[in-house]
Amino acid sequence: MQPAISVKNLRKRFGDNEVLRGIDMAAQDGEVITLIGASGSGKSTLLRSIPFLEIPDSGSITVGDDHLAPTGGHLSRREEVVARRMRGHLGFVFQGFNLWPHRTVLENVIEAPIHVQKRPRAECIEEAVALLDKVGLSEKRDAWPAHLSGGQQQRVAIARALAQRPRAILFDEPTSALDPELVGEVLKVIRALAEDGRTMVIVTHEMGFAREVSSRTIFLNQGIIEEEGTPDQVFGNPVSDRCRAFVSGHFDRNR
Amino acid sequence: MWADLDLLGFGPDGWGQVLLHAAVMSLLVSLAAFAFGIVLGTLVAWARTGRSRLLRSLAGLYTAVMRGVPDILVIYLFYFGGRQLVTAVGTALGFAGPFDISGFLAGMLAIGLISAAYQAEVLRGAYQAVPSGTIEAGRVVGMTRFTLFRRVIVPQAMVTAIPGLGNQWQSVVKESALVSVTGMVEIMRQVTVAAGSTQEHFLFYAAGAVLYLIITTISGQVFRIIEHRGLRGQLAGER
Repeated sequence: MQPAISVKNLRKRFGDNEVLRGIDMAAQDGEVITLIGASGSGKSTLLRSIPFLEIPDSGSITVGDDHLAPTGGHLSRREEVVARRMRGHLGFVFQGFNLWPHRTVLENVIEAPIHVQKRPRAECIEEAVALLDKVGLSEKRDAWPAHLSGGQQQRVAIARALAQRPRAILFDEPTSALDPELVGEVLKVIRALAEDGRTMVIVTHEMGFAREVSSRTIFLNQGIIEEEGTPDQVFGNPVSDRCRAFVSGHFDRNR
Repeated sequence: MWADLDLLGFGPDGWGQVLLHAAVMSLLVSLAAFAFGIVLGTLVAWARTGRSRLLRSLAGLYTAVMRGVPDILVIYLFYFGGRQLVTAVGTALGFAGPFDISGFLAGMLAIGLISAAYQAEVLRGAYQAVPSGTIEAGRVVGMTRFTLFRRVIVPQAMVTAIPGLGNQWQSVVKESALVSVTGMVEIMRQVTVAAGSTQEHFLFYAAGAVLYLIITTISGQVFRIIEHRGLRGQLAGER
């Protein structure tokens, strides 16, 4: 079986700073992969490269049957078409939620299904209502994003990602912008998605959560994969010294 | 010594009818100029924020010229310059004169061109104020550039732009008075004629002022209503 997402020899540089130095990674259907590492390790850039929010300098990305290997850090018109199709198969949840403030909660969720995927409106609404129910926000369907708490906005953003019927969902530090008391409600939703067998790639600083929810954990350091394995191995018995230091530092701080 | 207010009425000696007609002409030339200005202004704003260096500098030059030249000069340029051009072309083609061009058209083009430069600045600022995260969210669900523009950027930018566009509309209405130099009969021209004919200067210029105030006040309210509707939901705590 071909993986949902496959990344090969990905490189990206910002000016003099080489952020990704040859990354190989694949996510099989049903896998939950957590990406951990210090800030500046390249984990967010890697995640953002998968839907081409950052355009890699070299290397290739495959999502389902679509494949792109852009060069020179930009997409041609033809590549842009393929990239759009690949984005359609991926849900993306941002650190800062990025809901559309001029649309209600329900309108945010049905936007892509109706205006990108061109599915029938009635069907999209029905599905959106069910998704809002799943994230515990069905009573907020007609609210404006600005009237919701951060945790509620992030749950709407998750419903919006699910509404695309994506093959995989990417999370970019989904709880880092939240007040501590709101982190739990968002993690609970992501945990439920993991139990449903959703394919997910999650960049996170919540080490306890990562250890509990992942099927595989990848530790990035200075743009390369330094350690990779089951969460028990990466968190409990890391091979690399840097990974050991990073992990123990985090658990000590949270204690 | 109070002037005879019947002069403003609709009786046989009254100027009411022609003043009303003049007000409609002022409104029409303003609307046409504003509409032309917003279309051109959108293009200029698009060029100024675009990727092409050539288009960026051309748009910047346009804005600098239009903001740095007196408005009345632009109107003269279009009206008298335009007439000269039409005459030259007409004569060359063997037509007999005299040639004339529409004061309405020249005035509308001139004011529209000036307004476009200012509207472009308002629109550019509004575009740049759209939170980049909401644009990224549109890209990441697979929107085309056009869908992104129509569904994410325009609705958010318009809310920011409306107060600025309202100010621009106000300026356009006032600048429409300059079109009187072409002989087109709008408020300014009509009250000047009436004042000269009746020697009631104070009365007629005051009447002109009131007509302009009526137009600007009512349209100001319209812009406020549009702004309020556009803002619904975007301010936290508002119901």
